[in-house]
Amino acid sequence: MKVALIDYGAGNLHSLRKALEVGGAEVDTTTDWNRALSAAALVLPGVGAFGAAVEALGGEASRVQAALQDGYPCLGICLGMQLLFPESEESAGSGIGLIPGRVRRLRSRIVPHMGWNQVETSDDPLFAGVSPLLAYYANSYVCEPEDPSSVIAWTEYEDERFAAAVRSGRTWAVPFHTEKSSVRGLRIVRNILEEVGSA
Amino acid sequence: MTLIPRVIVCLDVKDGRVVKGTQFRGLRDVGDPVELARRYEEEGADEVVFLDVSASAEGRGTLWETVSRTAAALFVPLTVGGGVRAVGDIADLLRAGADKISVNTAAVARPELLSEGAQRFGSQCVVASIDAAREGERWVAYTHGGRRRTQLDAIGWAVRCAELGAGEILLTSIDQDGARTGYDLELTRRVAERVTVPVIASGGAGSPRHLAEALTAGGASAALLAGILHDGVTTVGEVKRVLMQSGIQVRAA
Repeated sequence: MKVALIDYGAGNLHSLRKALEVGGAEVDTTTDWNRALSAAALVLPGVGAFGAAVEALGGEASRVQAALQDGYPCLGICLGMQLLFPESEESAGSGIGLIPGRVRRLRSRIVPHMGWNQVETSDDPLFAGVSPLLAYYANSYVCEPEDPSSVIAWTEYEDERFAAAVRSGRTWAVPFHTEKSSVRGLRIVRNILEEVGSA
Repeated sequence: MTLIPRVIVCLDVKDGRVVKGTQFRGLRDVGDPVELARRYEEEGADEVVFLDVSASAEGRGTLWETVSRTAAALFVPLTVGGGVRAVGDIADLLRAGADKISVNTAAVARPELLSEGAQRFGSQCVVASIDAAREGERWVAYTHGGRRRTQLDAIGWAVRCAELGAGEILLTSIDQDGARTGYDLELTRRVAERVTVPVIASGGAGSPRHLAEALTAGGASAALLAGILHDGVTTVGEVKRVLMQSGIQVRAA
């Protein structure tokens, strides 16, 4: 299965690319949205700043949103998750806007939220075989979807409780780094690929 | 549902190989960075740090290739530091496959480097590395691998680094480094109380218990170790067992 991995122009894509390959995918790293939307699935990686990711969208937000609404599978990781929302407190510019809600700065004392955090998982196929889950976070921002029923996992950090995974149709979004969450993170990537491949 | 304290393993890398300083014979080759990093991930290391100690331009070129090979094989975070001078260096190393970049000497010379890096790549990948030595009731920051004294109060400098955009402070006690008698807990605690970014305690680990102290009395979010692992004094697994016995949550391998 060929998946398109979007390159915003900065940051480590090697680990995610390898994680997808280990999961059985053929990876096309690209900045071209025609290619990105004509693979078997889209992966929005989690490295860089919101502004850079918006720039990489290149004015294609509504087209990407329409494709995802039509059921084109997508995995958004960390910043990639944020990009699925309409906008972010971090910087100006519009995201894909698939998931209504907002992206705000963490209110905890220690920010960034950095390190391995426990995740309250659910029976979504994303989490098959990975419970209990500790996942690696490196975040100053947090996503708050308007629809709480779209949240399929939760995280608590200091006094905050926020979504650890959001699902909208065939789009999954997580704030942690699957590709940096060791064996269980790799399993999550594989779970997604299997779920997407089997449908 | 909480954040788990981290055990971070540091490897000195020179010309594409992991090296170890011995007191009388200089640097000794101890293996391939990719293999060693993977082995430490398997043992349960929560993060890996490469500290590049190459002195030459050729060594720097090799580092890019080493980081890139490691990133394709390592599935815990990788921080790379040593010799980072400019935003371009940060971009190159992130592009090569590092998740975070640590900066020391260049940030003292030009503190804006921290804010430029944070703006472009996000605070979470900019680590301010501070080497501190005690002088009476205070600590002074050093650069150039601990060889050059600055005028900076180490605690004040840590606060400033966080204000400028560093997402983490890697705090090494020069006095304790290599002594194996424990981290400088007072230094660690003072910095952890003053900044609102995670603090990594470094320098002085002689036993697993020392890491437990750094994570409790020291108030650190993470503890870094190197020598005692490479010398076989302990293992990451043993460290985590001791942490657990001390009532500290850990991530199992």
